[in-house]
Amino acid sequence: MTDVPPSVSLGRHAALPGSLLPAETADVPVTSVTTHAFSFTGQAGEYFRIWIVNTALTIVTLGLYLPWARVRQRQYFYGHTWLDGANFEYTARPVALLRGYLVVGAFFLAYTLATQFQFSGWEYVAGTIAVLFLALYPWLVMKSLRFLAVSTTHRGLKFRHHGRAGGAYASYGLGNGAALLSGGLALPFAWFLQRRYQVDGAAYGTARARFRGDAGEFYLIGLTGLALTLVGGVLLAVPLLGVLFGAGVLDVPQTEDDWLGPTFLIALAVGYLLVLALYGIAWQYVRAATLRLVLNRVEVGGVVRTGATFSPWRLVWIGVSNAVVQALTLGLATPWAAVRRARYVLSGMQVRALVPLDSFTADVTPGEDALGEAATELLDIDLGF
Amino acid sequence: MTPPDLMLEGRVFDGRSSRPHPATLEVRGGGVTLRLEGGPETPWTPAQMQIEPPVPGLPRVLKFPDGSRFETRDDAAVSALEARLGRNRGLGRVRRLESRWGTALGALGVTLALVAAFVVFGLPALARGAAAATPRPVLATFDRETTEFLDGDYLGPTRLSRARQAELQAAFRRVTRAAGGGYDYRLLLRDGLPEDSPITLGANAFALPNGTVVMTDQLVALSRSDRELVGVLAHEAGHVTGRHGLAAVYQGLGLTLLTVAVTGDVVSAGTFAAAVPAALLRGGYSRAAETEADRVAGAYLMEAYGTTKPLRDILARLETGRRNTDESDVEAGEGGLGDLLETHPGTAGRIEHLREIEAEGR
Repeated sequence: MTDVPPSVSLGRHAALPGSLLPAETADVPVTSVTTHAFSFTGQAGEYFRIWIVNTALTIVTLGLYLPWARVRQRQYFYGHTWLDGANFEYTARPVALLRGYLVVGAFFLAYTLATQFQFSGWEYVAGTIAVLFLALYPWLVMKSLRFLAVSTTHRGLKFRHHGRAGGAYASYGLGNGAALLSGGLALPFAWFLQRRYQVDGAAYGTARARFRGDAGEFYLIGLTGLALTLVGGVLLAVPLLGVLFGAGVLDVPQTEDDWLGPTFLIALAVGYLLVLALYGIAWQYVRAATLRLVLNRVEVGGVVRTGATFSPWRLVWIGVSNAVVQALTLGLATPWAAVRRARYVLSGMQVRALVPLDSFTADVTPGEDALGEAATELLDIDLGF
Repeated sequence: MTPPDLMLEGRVFDGRSSRPHPATLEVRGGGVTLRLEGGPETPWTPAQMQIEPPVPGLPRVLKFPDGSRFETRDDAAVSALEARLGRNRGLGRVRRLESRWGTALGALGVTLALVAAFVVFGLPALARGAAAATPRPVLATFDRETTEFLDGDYLGPTRLSRARQAELQAAFRRVTRAAGGGYDYRLLLRDGLPEDSPITLGANAFALPNGTVVMTDQLVALSRSDRELVGVLAHEAGHVTGRHGLAAVYQGLGLTLLTVAVTGDVVSAGTFAAAVPAALLRGGYSRAAETEADRVAGAYLMEAYGTTKPLRDILARLETGRRNTDESDVEAGEGGLGDLLETHPGTAGRIEHLREIEAEGR
């Protein structure tokens, strides 16, 4: 991380090398902090039409249209995100996505078939793919971040990600390895490393972003999530068991038949669902709180800070209720759920700037391929904040 | 100078700074002129201009080779330009579909119909095809691995006498000779309640893809005649020749891929939400497989004994778990949500189906 600009306080932005051209910033009088709110103008009904038409086309074309559908859906979300009178733009080319999907899809299929059928020599096929994936994972994250950044435009300027492979292997490879070996103790530290890698590599035009958080804040989030699971589990389990035993519905299993009795199995199923729900809620909390924390710790070019005032708990409620509604509508409420979440998150997001937002300049950008992005999507990796 | 054919008002971001410039775009004959207010005027040819496909509710965007980006709210003018230059024909049509509720609801109908058709007909057909094409060595590996796994903890050596074992093996050979298909048929008689097994299989019988059939002592004990056990073995042979086990694996794979295609995402909570319908569908497929295996067993029993009653009786006894039960003790009238969640058809339904086979066979 040697290429990160030195830390400066907000007031001394003009002295920051490499973020804004000196001539450009000198023109701009630094008077006061201006706050600009994000807003999301997408409509659930409008997005539903886009979603269903593109889904139908994907199915009719046997999946070949998928990259076009994906790009179109993202264009809608980026385009309806406004900041200071200008919207964002998603500029990835569908053909680039298609190529990536095909390569990754082939590997995914080979791996699934090998593990399902265990034909002779399957260990080598599955093992090679798994080792390859583990070894390449940080590199794929880096490629994915680069692709996503360079596909995002605001006011005609591209975002970029300057993260290097070394940093990716340190924060994702070593970070996750340490989290695993320490039995989860180092997990919040890994989150910290990963978010710092994501933010510190990012740039808008020539202005580099910087992450100003520390690991302690991630431990606080992790502990809250853990406490939520444990305390929630006890609070739910004690009255439940009490009622069941008290009412005589449930008895301590005595014989083999009791262990498999219907009431015991139902109690087991209910308990399992409760654990699953608690885990889901805790996970949603960690995600929401991390998003808020990171947004409150990003500084761009020494002159802009992002901020978030939405409530993580409200976001947890939105996530949980969205999942329930989606399940009840067999997925047809997916567009509504996505619009609802985006509207809430963006209505609680701001940037505070010392300079007008039209005083940034471009950086030359080399092309990025879509392979990293396709891989991270298909192989179930969560790269979102 | 002639007036321009088209004149668009908007603003330009030059791609070098984030500052917007009010601008106009003029189309005149075969040329395009981008004029920044109080600034330079750049001539372009239409071929150099890239018109971004429209996104509902958003300004239209035109891009030029120098990185500049003209955006305007004048959708009508840009659409006219697109029509004139023959651009974005495909996505223009997509936009027309998206902009009306009628076509969107049509797309919803098409999606639901195709997904339903795929789930009901396409996926089972594909899975059957894939199962039929799966080579025998793969099946043999499957059988070997599963048997080794079960014999470790879940199944114990049989307690039946050698003579009894020989009788059952002989019955099994007759059943498999009729079933055919050239599989490596093998009957494994095992104790389904070995000590310190983590789960109890109890009275049970099941088939593995390459013809290995496992039957527990407890099931033998539950039966009142060998005819009943022959019915069970014929049912399991039906699973083998129908390649139901493999088809189930492929169907699960297909459902997963379908879920990803519809929700468009492996990560989202929508996937968890989609797991519920997928589980229901899996139950439906295995009910279909059970019915097919019952048909095979019914045909064999009609051929051998002229009745399907033995299988009906042992099904009823498996349902109640009591040795003195026969088919009349299982009441019809199941159904509804409970039936939907079952992986096997309701016992009453299976007994009814076997009765129909008997009625047709007479």
